[in-house]
Amino acid sequence: MGYPQKPHPKETVVLSRYFGDPEAKTYQGWVKRGGYEALKKALAMDPAAVTEEVKASGLRGRGGAGFPTGLKWTFMPKEKKGPHYLCVNADESEPGTFKDREIMRWTPHALLEGTAIAAHAIRAEVAYIYIRGEFTEPWAVMTEALADANAARVFGNITIHLHRGAGAYICGEETALMNSIEGKRGNPRIKPPFPAVAGVFGKPTTINNVETLAAVPHIITRGSAWYKGLCLSSPKSTGTKLFSVCGHIQKPGNVEVTMGFPLKDVIYDMCGGMRPGRTLKACIPGGSSVPILTKEETERCLLDYEGVAEAGSLLGSGGVIVFDDSADMVYQIMRLAKFYAHESCAQCTQCREGTAWTTKILERILAGKGQLKDLDLLLDLSENMTGKTICVLSDSCATPVISGIKKFRSEFEDYITGKKRPVMVA
Amino acid sequence: MPDLVNLTIDDVPVSVPKGTLVIEAAKQAGVLVPHYCYHPGLPVAGVCRMCLVEIEKAPKLQIACATQVADGMVVRTRSSQARSGRTGVLELLLINHPLDCPICDQAGECELQDFTFQEGRAATRYSPTYPKRFNPVEDFGPDILYVPNRCILCTRCVRFMEDVAQEPVLNVSERGDRAFIGIYPDALLDHPWSGNVVDLCPVGSLLSKDFLHKARAWELDKTASVCTGCSQGCNVTLDLRDETVVRIRPRPNLEVNRYFICDHGRANYRWMNRGDRVEAPLVRVGGELKAVDWDEALERARTILSGAGGSAVALVSPKASTETLYLARKLLARFAWTGAFEVVMGEEAPLAGVPNLALRAERAPNAKGAELLGYTRDYGAALKAAERAAVVLVIDDPDAQFTTAGEVICLGTEVPTGAPLHRSGVVLPIANVAEEDGTFVNRDGRVQRYFQGRGAPAMARPGWWVLGQLTEAPPDSASAAFDALAAEVEAFRGMSYATLGLTGIRAGAGAGVPA
Amino acid sequence: MTAPAARVEPYQPVFVGAAKAKLDGIIARYPAKQGALLPALWMVQEARGWISDEAMAEVADVLETTPAQVKGVVTFYTMYHQHPVGRNFVQVCTTSCCNLCGAEDVVKALLAETGAKELGATSPDGKWTVIEVECLGACGFPTPILVNDDFIENVTPERVPELVRKYR
Repeated sequence: MGYPQKPHPKETVVLSRYFGDPEAKTYQGWVKRGGYEALKKALAMDPAAVTEEVKASGLRGRGGAGFPTGLKWTFMPKEKKGPHYLCVNADESEPGTFKDREIMRWTPHALLEGTAIAAHAIRAEVAYIYIRGEFTEPWAVMTEALADANAARVFGNITIHLHRGAGAYICGEETALMNSIEGKRGNPRIKPPFPAVAGVFGKPTTINNVETLAAVPHIITRGSAWYKGLCLSSPKSTGTKLFSVCGHIQKPGNVEVTMGFPLKDVIYDMCGGMRPGRTLKACIPGGSSVPILTKEETERCLLDYEGVAEAGSLLGSGGVIVFDDSADMVYQIMRLAKFYAHESCAQCTQCREGTAWTTKILERILAGKGQLKDLDLLLDLSENMTGKTICVLSDSCATPVISGIKKFRSEFEDYITGKKRPVMVA
Repeated sequence: MPDLVNLTIDDVPVSVPKGTLVIEAAKQAGVLVPHYCYHPGLPVAGVCRMCLVEIEKAPKLQIACATQVADGMVVRTRSSQARSGRTGVLELLLINHPLDCPICDQAGECELQDFTFQEGRAATRYSPTYPKRFNPVEDFGPDILYVPNRCILCTRCVRFMEDVAQEPVLNVSERGDRAFIGIYPDALLDHPWSGNVVDLCPVGSLLSKDFLHKARAWELDKTASVCTGCSQGCNVTLDLRDETVVRIRPRPNLEVNRYFICDHGRANYRWMNRGDRVEAPLVRVGGELKAVDWDEALERARTILSGAGGSAVALVSPKASTETLYLARKLLARFAWTGAFEVVMGEEAPLAGVPNLALRAERAPNAKGAELLGYTRDYGAALKAAERAAVVLVIDDPDAQFTTAGEVICLGTEVPTGAPLHRSGVVLPIANVAEEDGTFVNRDGRVQRYFQGRGAPAMARPGWWVLGQLTEAPPDSASAAFDALAAEVEAFRGMSYATLGLTGIRAGAGAGVPA
Repeated sequence: MTAPAARVEPYQPVFVGAAKAKLDGIIARYPAKQGALLPALWMVQEARGWISDEAMAEVADVLETTPAQVKGVVTFYTMYHQHPVGRNFVQVCTTSCCNLCGAEDVVKALLAETGAKELGATSPDGKWTVIEVECLGACGFPTPILVNDDFIENVTPERVPELVRKYR
């Protein structure tokens, strides 16, 4: 298990092997642990061959979208007409998710190595690692690691730069991230054009998540067949995933399991289960933007892209937020809506106004001034906010509202009927 | 011949060049897709989300302003899904929008009003207990006020200043529903073309101080005209209230000014309403100018002309219409005549993002037209010639300073001073640009029509009519005057009011010059 | 007796000498100067504690963009301060995961212990400003807070007095 816990026997420890090991942060320490061998091997391979290997492994984007990584790399132009860029999305801001932070602060060289291999595969000369502004420790660790690796000249012709964000969840959206690197407001762009055609600074660009790239050196060293073999359920979901477990849980932290692992075991076994006297009420399995699961749905859910979809949610970033029976679902959904309202970039009407209005309605309900028709209003508003905007922040605000009202309607009604006393002042 | 794409929009088949946006293709099908942030003169933003349409085989609604046409595409702009998407946008735009219509300048020409009436909800679902977002009104600069409460953040103004004016002085500040249009604290919105943001603003958020609370949109009579501020010849619309010109706005002409006019032209309307006009024909009787009727005045003018021989000089305004200038030359044809004009010059101010568009140094609309008709810029030489001329014809040059041994006939809008006042045998009142039909020729040789917006004051008549009355075959309309001109002057061959239409034709177009 | 008029100090540029050299190095990382905008603003904030309008004008000048564009960026990103803040700027995550684990109690404890009393206000001794922020990406270590650049995990109301003492 992730720092500060020891690995659990049921974990498949690949990315998290050196979490908590201070020597692994250093260049010497990383090389001693077999680091940068994969990079040497990859740099000697043809870029297309590297891409093929990653494609064959079945690795999918670990930031939340789950897009097949090797396939994404093939979208770059076949004929190189100018600079190519790689952007690494280290803007981890999805509530419930804290895995990329661990990768960066414990195994910075894993990320640097994966970045360089990916840059080689897509024939990018320059890679920008976009680290969110609040990650002061990962920033310091990555800065030192990059300096050491550069001194050892391991990257060949590839140059890696760190770029610090300044407080915007929306910059985790790939096109907004590119705008932020360009020194602009973090506004998502309309697509087309797609980043592989015209991305950062107008040039062909690929954006990959930290966890995705950290897996790449392993695939190069141990082979795509090995990675593909790490699969417990759906053959379309391979490898391991770090699940960040938090909320009402005894032992919060990251667990690394093979795709298809039962969520029930993660919660009750690996993470110590509920606090004394408490029972599980709900769980959001993939970061706050995915639908909420009930206890029953949670306990039968398998953790891979297809399994979570079948259970009624999405794997997303793998941020597992656990709610026990003491949780006030209405209040927590309001707090999530408030999060989205705060983070909206303001471009699209539905998001800019809708997230704020959703928050206000929920606050009114929590203040005891709600009416039953407010639930219909919330659902209608959420539908208006879904599928109609440049990016999915708007949909992400609507999702917990829709699944919350659908599965926990009685909690909303309790506030409305007065059965539950108000917890806010409107 | 560009590749054509065939698609259907609301069951109407259209055929458009490859690369056309669905929102533009829809216009061909006679369909206006409601929108705010889209504007054909600005780069696409896709932020307002108003132009959502249903496209068969697409899983989600698409915005028509950012979707290119494809062969066989089937677009439905009025399906229930598309309409409910737009109703949703309207509802959300109105939750913080103040119900200011009674005191908002935009009322009556407001796209938020229009589309809400068409597709919005009848009542709000936003609780009356929620305060609306409030920010105080800001003074952005010389002529522009910003009312943040009404702003729908379409960003047209920001994109105009950034891409078209190429002076990025406006930004979007803050984030989420706290966002508003910002200007750097010490900066002013004083770019010579910045007034366009007021036209571009779909709501009453960016306002012209000059027009503030001056008139209601529905009180205005609109007339197509051409700006008289310089030789660029931007197409404009004159807005008149009770026969007074109260505002000038740009009229689209893709060949000249696209969708924009400069601030100098925008402000250039007060002179049209001046009160010190020549109101009646005047003849000199016993040393004094006396008001008479047209018959008597025209008779006096004829007498002057028939009694003169030798040379004649015409001192004209480069603001006079082509028809007037043509008839003046025709009138003086039997003399050895010189015609000249003087143009006031000023600083040029280009609109960087549009090729060949600027506030021109020549501050007059028809210098080129005058040149094509044989008038020169050598005003000094004309003044010299005037000394010995038998007749000096002054057209709208009220303070011309000259000495002459001959007679003076003056056509004027304003009351003349100087030589025309003291020496004219007859002063004939004429109409200005708002009061007649006519044409100007811009610096590129483009012949453009302007239309009459109101009657001329008192007894004033159009210049072409006045001069026509003094010739053998007076034309009975401005159009007929132009036809006569086109028949005689090579550069205008083949043109007529019908072919000039609303956007004009370049002179010499028949000779392979693009229209 | 009237107080003497406040002396308005003339603005001192940030990007001179070593700072300018550092910025030049950063500019070289991007194919367009504007790419260095976020890093440049961080440098200003590190040097001055906040980003004033004059600083924005200086940055605009150095990066060949307009003050309006710089201001648009500064107002977008929440970590840039547009006015001076307390010496210790405290950011407390209160988004759902931390909220479930008592983050709001941590906020209350901090407001009380530091004397700041209200969110966003600076304490009377000028040493503390406390604000609530969104997810800090350390949900497994509730409640995480940032005191200036120090990221502190597992803060509870019980730990607050000792923490405040340490920074005071």
